[in-house]
Amino acid sequence: MIDSAPEKKLQEFEERIARGEKIEPGDWMPDEYRRQLIRMISQHAHSEVVGMLPEGAWIPHAPNLRRKMVLMAKVQDEAGHGQYLYHAAETLGISREEMLDALLAGRAKYSSIFNYPTLAWADVAWIGWLVDGAAIKNQTMLAQCSYGPYSRAMVRICAEETFHYKQGKEMIVKYMTTGSDAQKAMVQDGLNRWWWPMLMMFGPHDSDSPNSPVLMRWGIKTRSNDDLRQEFINEEIPEVLALGLTIPDPDLLFDETSKTWQIGPINWDEFWQVVRGNGPMNAERLAARQKAHDDGRWVREAVAAYAEKVASSKYASGK
Amino acid sequence: MSDTQWPRYEVFKQDSPNQPHKAVGSVHAPDAEMALLNARDVFARRPKAVSMWVAPASTILSMTAEEMAANPGWRMVSETGEGEERPFLIFTKTSQRRSMTFVTHVGVITAVTAQEALATAVANAEFDAENVWVWWVVPESAITRSDPDDQASHFAPAADKTYRQQSSYGFVGPTRKNVKRET
Repeated sequence: MIDSAPEKKLQEFEERIARGEKIEPGDWMPDEYRRQLIRMISQHAHSEVVGMLPEGAWIPHAPNLRRKMVLMAKVQDEAGHGQYLYHAAETLGISREEMLDALLAGRAKYSSIFNYPTLAWADVAWIGWLVDGAAIKNQTMLAQCSYGPYSRAMVRICAEETFHYKQGKEMIVKYMTTGSDAQKAMVQDGLNRWWWPMLMMFGPHDSDSPNSPVLMRWGIKTRSNDDLRQEFINEEIPEVLALGLTIPDPDLLFDETSKTWQIGPINWDEFWQVVRGNGPMNAERLAARQKAHDDGRWVREAVAAYAEKVASSKYASGK
Repeated sequence: MSDTQWPRYEVFKQDSPNQPHKAVGSVHAPDAEMALLNARDVFARRPKAVSMWVAPASTILSMTAEEMAANPGWRMVSETGEGEERPFLIFTKTSQRRSMTFVTHVGVITAVTAQEALATAVANAEFDAENVWVWWVVPESAITRSDPDDQASHFAPAADKTYRQQSSYGFVGPTRKNVKRET
């Protein structure tokens, strides 16, 4: 085995990333690269899994059969996205069990947006349009990521999230163009509650984002939080306003010189409160995950017992 | 084996009859039969899929070009193999382009050990080793395949549910005309 010096390995690793090569399981990587990826990918996986809950709550109350089928397909996708991501994290040497334990024990983080309640049906539509829209911005960047398994999971997820975005936006457009006054009021109320938490999804300002420099250097992230947030609001604000909706930001203005939308200050105290577990729904979300885990125990036991029985009968019959 | 950490199976999906199987990711399952069912739910919610294979991750020999270069001794292991020859499926990754799939099935090699199969593949011009970034060698006996008779029931629902396809929504925006009436 040729044991080149760590500095030389690091240099070769950074040259590979500069050439646009993907780092694959088995390739040399700095411990910090592995640690940052495990942190990011596992949080991302947990976000997909917990993300099933706010929308899943509305499946029994969907207004018609089509909307129910669409919502079920969407929630099923989120479960699948969690699986893609747990797989990607596993290639870095952490077990899925360790990740699930961390989530259930409340040690793991996940996207703060899912600690807000879905109070009305229009919230499902806003999650599709703005929450998934914001997620797509971030995930499109991560599809370029230097780590092969994470990049591939992101390519697959982005293709599916576009459906989530469109079904949500379709509902908002419909309610605002052909809906009743009550439907329009429901949509506006949803926007009032989801607007600011959605903007927080992009993460702290670049100046308060301690992990960003190393993530950028190694091609895990290729764009900054503020950059993505600005691009997103520039694209979506005109669409929201065109529907006759009011964005709950008294400081909002369009800057004619830079041709960009300027938002007022984000309440970062609220963001950090939610991240630290004090959001409106943190306790409920974890309790729901724990209940699902406990309720599924008999299924896991049954399939394990069946697998054991089949295996032993195969040996018995000499197959 | 604990309650939630079943063995990991790698999943290979074939999109259409003329295409090779490609690695798409992994699932956990207590046996291969459940692994195939989980794989269908996780990786074939949409078209296209006509066939899937699963293999326990523990049976797969994986080597990157970088690992081979850093550890030239990997070939030596193959010379110690004794026993009967058996078929191994060879998979390679040959591109750095953005993709949702990993290694692609490119052939079968008969050998005594996986290392020997890999050494044979690397030496065989057909596999174009110069342009391979990652090799996977999977004993054919470790692979469980979806039943062709089940193809329709197993994969067709993914194609029928057009509301899962972003393309079925067309362009969605405030200027969109002809908003369909909800029933």
